[in-house]
Order: sequence, then structure tokens, then C-alpha cells
Amino acid sequence: MSIARRDFLKYCWLAAGVLSLSPAKFSLLREALANPAAPSVIWLHGSSCTGCSVSLLNRISDAAPFTIKETLTDAINLVYHATLMTPAGDAAVSELRKVYNSGNYVLVLEGGVPTAFGGGPCIVYSLHGQETTYQQAVQELAAKALALVCVGTCASFGGIPAAGSNPTGVVSVHALTGRTTINISGCPANPDWIIWAIVQLLTGTPVDLDADGRPTALYARNLAGTATPGLLHDKCPRNQTVNPAAPELATSFADCNGACLRNLGCRGPVTNARCNGGWNIKAADPAAAPVDRFQNNWCIGVNAPCHGCVEKDFPGGPFYL
Amino acid sequence: MPVIVAAIDPVTRIEGHLKVDVTVDTVGGVQQVTDVKTVGTLFRGFEKILEGRDPRDAPLITSRICGVCPTSHSVAAVLALDQAGGVTPPAAGRVLRNLVHGACYLESHILHFYLLSLPDYIQGPGMPPWTPGFEMEHRVDKAAAGRFLANYLAAINIRRQCHEMGALFGGKLPHSPGYIAGGFTAVPAADKIAAFQSLLATIQNFINTSYVPDVEALSSLYSDYFLVGRGYGNLLSYGVFELNDAGSSKLFTRGRIIAGAGTAQAVDVAQITESVTHSWYSNAANNLNPASGDTVAQYPKPGGYSWLKAPRYGGVPYECGPLARMWVNGEYTNGVSVMDRIRARAYEARKLAAAMQTWLGQLAVGASTYTPFTTPSGAVSAMGLTEAPRGALGHWVSLSGGAIARYQVITPTCWTISPRDSADQLGPLEKALMGTPVNNVQHPVEVLRVIHSVDPCLDCATHVIKVSQPA
Repeated sequence: MSIARRDFLKYCWLAAGVLSLSPAKFSLLREALANPAAPSVIWLHGSSCTGCSVSLLNRISDAAPFTIKETLTDAINLVYHATLMTPAGDAAVSELRKVYNSGNYVLVLEGGVPTAFGGGPCIVYSLHGQETTYQQAVQELAAKALALVCVGTCASFGGIPAAGSNPTGVVSVHALTGRTTINISGCPANPDWIIWAIVQLLTGTPVDLDADGRPTALYARNLAGTATPGLLHDKCPRNQTVNPAAPELATSFADCNGACLRNLGCRGPVTNARCNGGWNIKAADPAAAPVDRFQNNWCIGVNAPCHGCVEKDFPGGPFYL
Repeated sequence: MPVIVAAIDPVTRIEGHLKVDVTVDTVGGVQQVTDVKTVGTLFRGFEKILEGRDPRDAPLITSRICGVCPTSHSVAAVLALDQAGGVTPPAAGRVLRNLVHGACYLESHILHFYLLSLPDYIQGPGMPPWTPGFEMEHRVDKAAAGRFLANYLAAINIRRQCHEMGALFGGKLPHSPGYIAGGFTAVPAADKIAAFQSLLATIQNFINTSYVPDVEALSSLYSDYFLVGRGYGNLLSYGVFELNDAGSSKLFTRGRIIAGAGTAQAVDVAQITESVTHSWYSNAANNLNPASGDTVAQYPKPGGYSWLKAPRYGGVPYECGPLARMWVNGEYTNGVSVMDRIRARAYEARKLAAAMQTWLGQLAVGASTYTPFTTPSGAVSAMGLTEAPRGALGHWVSLSGGAIARYQVITPTCWTISPRDSADQLGPLEKALMGTPVNNVQHPVEVLRVIHSVDPCLDCATHVIKVSQPA
């Protein structure tokens, strides 16, 4: 999560169209980032796969050249992130405790909360030999946090660790704490959406959430950011209603190239997301015609059915028909 | 009296949750590690989650075992399903599987050296998340440090481009939806092949002109680390990157090396067992082969100290990873140590990038990538063996009535970072840590260098288990 502050601003500017970030909002952000009293960020991993952290790196680092004096820490004071930080053990946890005592921090949570075995399936750190479970840490740190951001479907809703018989009793952060969480769901969460949430918090902008705690601006609107529908199928270039040139419905993976995958299990018709904006690439130009995004990187773009990974019931039943 | 008994928890700059308990004492005039326990501190229970599901879901579900090597899990799962269904993917399907998997290898190796490992040797900037840093000796002069830091920052972008490259065919990374039983979803298109080629050239140039020279420079500055963290010297590789449709020829072959010497021995999968004597699972299922293994969580448990089980081959501990693969291939046989692991990883990246150029040239635009797969309705057992960037990965699956009846995974981190077994033999990383000299017990950076050299991935280590309430 290393990025020059100038590059972070440049990234936000480039992405502003996609993220509905107005020039006025952008200058607010610049002010917020310049404020030395800006909140720190504590990022904890629970019952997760670290995939959302990897996803974040995939987007945010697309800004070069870097200079070392302008790292991310000028913009976001990331005091605790177990994958990236240099200190380990007590030294790392002591830093976290200092920020906790100040109360001036945003808590980012990646991973659901296992509650079986007294929380024993996830021990998040030790201090002076005393182990702390993720369950205990989330409860304690959430109580004083300025805001809670759940990155990914596991923290937001439980996700795959909570699926089936839910062997470790995984619950979402909201279910554990009862506090409002900004849920950036997805498996993994798309880095654009994570950045968007951080920007809103740093600029003090209220975030309108849907019934599942997800920002409506990210999940319930189309790519131009204007209105519903948010359903992927209703903006999919393989839907003949959207794109009359699209081929007939696919009936097998042997004949699906470019065709609508509804009959193979695609959950696009029931999934609210903007994945058609692309993954692992520069932010898509929202002005481009839908058919131009046909070749973008996303699940459907490579003939794979949408698995509905942003939805509350993911993973749910069988993925394929 | 030992100088210090301390827990390093969390061990940072790894993937997942790891705690290491070390005891440091002075022996023969040298302050060193005299006892160690490596503790996996997370489990999620993927076996139960998979049980009863449509077998075709396995590549997507098991991908989520690890966000750092998700593609390797998808590969192991589709290999097992291909075997169960008796299908052989078309050549282009095999090549696309390899190219996306290869992209993830390059991403992982570059991430490991620059972001996870290098901060053990050079001072980062004076700000979080690099502070507080470790007090350590300064062997890197200003010019070299500047070069390392510049490449550290370049590596952040290069590793992202590795995922961008893989996503061209994989759709998105991490967690590509492209891997399906019978082949791959994407069909090669001319513009995507060209985009892949362009990114691969950039990445290959970084590997050849920055990554490999930086590793060689570091290993010459820290040549004493060719003698630290040696461990047992037992190396295991299942082999990876199928070069023919039958899968009989691989870029990295299957084999094992005993005590860091001699030529590669054959691997007989029946010799693999898992011990749980010191793991938080019931001893009722101890030392079983994964094809028949059963695992019942028991937490807390007397004598237990890790959520990892202890896989053994013929009762013997083995480490795995790039050094094992390169050694089994006969391409790196310098030694087993911290610096040998780091060097073998860089040379493997260089070899793989060159091979990927060849594979890309084998792709025909529009070629079929999928052989129709039908889920068997009867009772079938199958196995998918591959290699994640950090070592040997196996999936064992039993199907019944068209659904998953049982699923077992043994991850590379289970092999390398296992706890003690029923014969009280140390796990490979534990063995490698024993005797590590520690200059300053408040800043045990030498311990972290040994740990990071094996590239721990504790998300991967999350064993698939069956759960009952503690006894």
C-alpha cells in the first residue's frame, strides 16, 4: 500500500468520473490529506484469505513514478497492516495500542469473525505474551473507531468461511458489533470501491448505504453513476436487450464465446455491481459505449458466469447450472 | 537460564496469521535460538464448507483458501476434477491454465523479495508502515540502498502488472473464475495475446535487469546467510506446469532430495501422512494418508500448539518451494539456506518468464479451450497435485452421488511450517531456526530473515478440517 501522495491524488482525479468525485470534493480531499491530525488507519485480518489486500495493491500502485518522500503515509497513515508493515510482534502491536488509545482512527476489517471455540480459530496478535483473538480485537477496536470499513464479502456478510455448516461460527463485523459498517463487498473487493470509501471518510462525506450496508453509489447505480438499475445483466454487453449484436444464449462452455451465460449459471440478473467497469486495469472511461468494454477484464468478459460474489448470500448454492 | 523467551506475534510481512515462540540462550559463546515453536493461528474449515457441494464449484471455493496463491488452488482442483471425470483439456486450455498460473507465480516471487523480505536487510523510510524498524548492522552503502529502494517501488507496479497480465485471460485476480473442470473459460483472442506479450516483456525485463541482480547483490552482502537457516535439507516437489496434454512432462518435475545431496528420488504419494500429535486436532486420526485422513478439531488440547498439521513423507519432514523445484530439476544445487532459497526463487522466476514466452507462441486465436465435462454420478476418488509458488500443493477429493463427499488439502506451508510430529521431530522451519545467531534479542531480525526465506503463507496453511466441540 505504498503510493506517493501526489499519485494518490492523481489517481483519484483520473478515477473521479467513475467514482462520481466532483472537483469540489477533490479539493476537500486535498485539504484532508494535508491535515496532520487526519485519522490513522488500522487494518486487521480475520477469517480471510488476504485476497482483498492483494486486490487493493493491484489498483493503488498503478501510479508511477514514485518518490519515497511522497508515500502513501503522507495521505493515509497506515499504522497497522500485518502483510505490509516492517515491525513484528510486540513492536507492531504497541503501535496499534498507541493509536487505539488516541481514538483517532478508521478501522478497516478484512475477514469474517470466527466465534466458535471462544474465538480460538483466529488469534490476531499477542502483546507481552497475551494472545488476543480477532473477535476480541474487533469488539475492542470497533468501540472507539471513527468509522468501520468492511473490505470484502467475508467481513461484510460472512462470505465463504461462513458457508455450508459454518464450521468456525463466522459472523460479519456488523453482526458481532451491532455498529454500522460501510460494506465494500466482493470476493475480492474491487480496489476502486475501497478507495472510494476511504475518500468519502477522509472528506467527511456522508455515505448513503443500502439495506445491506453497501454504498448505493457503488452497488445500486449504473456505470455513469446516475441511476438504477444496478443489476449487471441490465448493463451487460452480452444481453441482447443492451447489445442487439450479441450472440444467442450460450448452452455450453464449448460455445459460449461472447454469448450470454444465463443458462450456465450466471448470476448477473440478480447481482448489483459495476464489474463491467473492469478489473486489474486502468479505470474504464465511463463515456465509452458498453460494447467497447466487451473486452475488459471481468468474469463475464472471459466467458465465466458471474458468481454473485458481492451479494449477501454468496457463495450460496451451486455456481453452475 | 535462557536470555529470553518471547513470542513474535504477529510475524508480519507474510500472508496470513503466524506466531513464532523462540527461546534465545548463549551456547558456546554464541547467543542463538535454542528452542522454537511455529504456530499457525487461523483455521476456517474448508472441508465442511465443500462437503455436499457440486464438485464443479471446488476450483472457485478452494481459490479462497488463499488470496496470494488462489490460482494454484484452482489448478489443483481442476486437475483432480479432470481425473475424476476422465477428461483431458485441449492444448489451448492447458496453455491458458499455465499462463495465468505463471503470471501469479511471477507476482508472488517479486512481491516476496521486495515487499516481504527486503525490509529485513535494508532500512525503509522513517514512517509507518516501515516504523519502528529493526536495529541492524548496516552493510548496504547509500548507493546500493537507493537502488534497492527504487526497485522496491518499481516492484509494486510490476507485481500489479503481473496480475493485470493474468487477468487478460483469467478475468480478474485474485480469484480468477477461468479454471473449470475440462479446461478454461477464455478463448484466445489476438488482442489479448498481444497485450499479454507486451506485459510479459516488461515483467521479464524487470526480472532480468533488476530482480536477479538485486538478489545477487544482496546475497553477496549477506554471504554469511548461506550458512544460516539450513534445516534438514530434505526437499519435495510435486512438479508443475504441464508441457503436454497427458501431463506427463512438466516444466518442473516431480521428485525429492534427501539431506541436500544426490539426485532426485521418486515420489510415492502413498508415503504421505499427517501427524496431529501437536496440532489442535483429535489424536483419533493420526498419521493417516490424506486419501483416508479424517480430522476433528480439538481446541485447546494438551500438547497441541498449532492449527497446522504435520505432513511427513515416509515419516520424514520435507520443505518445499522454489529451491526444492530448482534442485529436483538439477538447476540449482548450491545449498540449502536463507540465501539459497532467495536465489533459487529469483532464478525460477527468470526461467518461468522465458517459458511463458514460448507457451504464448503456442496459442492459436480462437482455439478450443474446453472438453465437455460431466460430473460422475458414482463413487470416484481423485487427486490433483501441483505446486503453488511456495511449494507442493495437493487436493484429494471423493465424489458420491454427483456431490463432494470429502475433500482434503495439504498446502506447502503445512509441509514447511508444520509443528512437531508424533515422533517429536521438529517441523522444517523449526529445524531451520534452531541455532540461528541473534545479536540483539530486542530486535531479532535474524529470526525473521529465516522465517521470510521460506515465504510463509498461513492463509494457505489453513487446513481443511471437520469440527466438533472440544473434548
